[in-house]
Amino acid sequence: MQTMSDDTALPLARFTILEVNDTNVPLCLRLATSLATKIAADLGADVLKIEPPGGDPVRRAPPFLPQGESALFQFLNTSKRSLVLDLASDVGRIALKGLLDKAGAVLFEEPAASAPLLRASRATPIEIAAFPVEMDAAGQPVSEFAILAMGGLLHMVGEPERKPLRLGGHQASYAAGLTAFTGLAAALAARAAGQTAPDVRVSLAEVMQWVNWKAASGADASGISPGREGKNSEFQIVPCRDGHVAVVYTATQWPATRALIGDPRLGDPRFSTRAGRRQNIAELYEIIAPWFADKTRAEIQTTAQAKGVPLGPIFSPAELLETEQYVARGFLAEMAHPKLGKLRLPQLPVQWNGRSFAPKPAPELAA
Amino acid sequence: MSARPLDSIRVLDFGLLTAGANTSAMLADLGADVIKIESGAYLDPFRVVGKPDNDDGWWNRSPQFRFTNRNKRGLALNLKDPEGQRVIRELAGHCDVVVENFRRGVLDRAGLGYNDLSAINPRLVFAAISSQGDTGPERMNVSFGSTLDATSGIASLTGYEGEEPRISGMDVNYPDQIVSLFATGIVITAVMEARHTGKGAFLDFSQREVASFTLGEEILVAAADPARPNGRRGNREEGVAQQDAYRCKDGRWIALTLDKPDAGLEALCASHDSAAAVSALLARGIAAAICNDGNDLLRNTALQGVTLVRDERGGLVKGLPYRLGGKGISIERPGPDLGQHTSEVLRELLGYDDAQLKKLAEAGVTSTTPAVGEV
Repeated sequence: MQTMSDDTALPLARFTILEVNDTNVPLCLRLATSLATKIAADLGADVLKIEPPGGDPVRRAPPFLPQGESALFQFLNTSKRSLVLDLASDVGRIALKGLLDKAGAVLFEEPAASAPLLRASRATPIEIAAFPVEMDAAGQPVSEFAILAMGGLLHMVGEPERKPLRLGGHQASYAAGLTAFTGLAAALAARAAGQTAPDVRVSLAEVMQWVNWKAASGADASGISPGREGKNSEFQIVPCRDGHVAVVYTATQWPATRALIGDPRLGDPRFSTRAGRRQNIAELYEIIAPWFADKTRAEIQTTAQAKGVPLGPIFSPAELLETEQYVARGFLAEMAHPKLGKLRLPQLPVQWNGRSFAPKPAPELAA
Repeated sequence: MSARPLDSIRVLDFGLLTAGANTSAMLADLGADVIKIESGAYLDPFRVVGKPDNDDGWWNRSPQFRFTNRNKRGLALNLKDPEGQRVIRELAGHCDVVVENFRRGVLDRAGLGYNDLSAINPRLVFAAISSQGDTGPERMNVSFGSTLDATSGIASLTGYEGEEPRISGMDVNYPDQIVSLFATGIVITAVMEARHTGKGAFLDFSQREVASFTLGEEILVAAADPARPNGRRGNREEGVAQQDAYRCKDGRWIALTLDKPDAGLEALCASHDSAAAVSALLARGIAAAICNDGNDLLRNTALQGVTLVRDERGGLVKGLPYRLGGKGISIERPGPDLGQHTSEVLRELLGYDDAQLKKLAEAGVTSTTPAVGEV
């Protein structure tokens, strides 16, 4: 496993990018901004994070490391530099203008007081918002959870008769952050090619709908929206000896799945089509579930993969640290932090000619 | 049309379903000329899983295929036939990017892997998107959408309080959706590098890693503090005073996030219709939203922003996840019929004549109908 070291030019090393953290911005927008610039910074861009006096509030957001520092901040701000500027003051705004003249792109959030200044700058503006332009709702209260509801993703998870459920993690903010990174890359590519770069506007609500496109597609095709199916779904979570496994297979993998479980009752014609299995789902799982009960997740995965069946053993974040595949690929890398010691965190999920991108510790707040 | 960031970039697209095909679609959105390669013997599975009927031409009618493959040209070339392989190697000389999400080894066995194609075209950016990545003991493992909710860690943090884990399910397949948002940006970065240095790159994406990457802070904490309690917390979130979905008088659910706990909210929701409750709560500065379904999304054009658009046949297709230069996209061509542009592209890029095209068709190397009914 190689890591891109300092003597190898990193792909974005030619670019300077500003991340402006103005005050009074909803945290869920900031997480998207910071994820986009973190990716650029790990790829070698010189990312300067402009923080207000007192720092980006994400520095004080959970989850926390045992030392009390924010793990969220440490993850989202690797490989960046930080500068404190009071953008409410003339001195702060003048300093910012000077920096903008030298930057290729600037990332910020729509409700920021400095947004008009940033939109008009020579750096290409990449703006993170909660809602589409068409809603004209810049000041509306927002949370990631509300965005999941608006975008229809909340409707998709849980039991039909019980409350809908959010997905774990900061999925609304991070999907928007990945989108903003791609928009940033497109803007930099245009600038590098001598074109006028398009400005980019990413709203969390649009990204969630785009991610959840099968809801719109399904409703458009049949008039009936897909929704959470819970225990009526063909894919169920079943307990096994040391945890849980998600039963997942495509229509063409059903014969292999049947062979894996090896119970002759699965040959019943009622189970031979997807529609039939769904109509008889409780009976189907009465037959399937016992096969899992006395086996470990590792045994189940090995046996199923040998037959080409994509069952999914469920791992917690702590267990991921030990998984063979991640260890072999060095995905969860060690990073030496000057104050916090050795930390382990995911690297960018790409290997470029076999090399990965080692993150550098997030910046301290200047005194 | 004004210049776009990927004008002059051509993509050889082997992408299937969402992870691969959608990455190429996002490159097309930015101006790339995307030529999608299928074969009569192996269709993009979206042509099959989304088919509305079994009548003749069913393979050209899947809404899921149309949603994902708009603004591409479509070729059908048999990858298992040496002649088909030869034509693709010729095409690779005229392309800048390859996108593929086959199981590891499939393209290598056809003589169409990165080593083969980069020998022909060293500037090629080759995006290999796979379940587990191109290396490691699990590189040959297969997955389907929600397999990766499970193995990435997301499912372990999703579920009702204290109950079993949950996956996003087959109507979402969440991990497939986010990989293209990331992979597209990395491909653009590598294209920039190739323009700058003349050298291409092999980009190895693990979809499982992309999904785990979204839990970065959870992994950081788990490594530093193995004793930290983990698991399902319903809709609650660390650091948030109160957050949950509540059922309103009209039976609809609304999502609420509060900075300060308010025990009276459940009663407020139960006694108001959802729209009235959301308005009242927003006016109090509380983040609130109705839990929309697909039909709500179709009706609410302001909320849609640029995410949905209609093609020239009036069909609804995927728009953009972002607004570029203040705009969305227009659909210049609907998702291609199987093999619709084979002749056009082989004439244009490789200078093939009628006799050569006829010979390929007669040998079954090119086709416009499937050789199989199921995939």
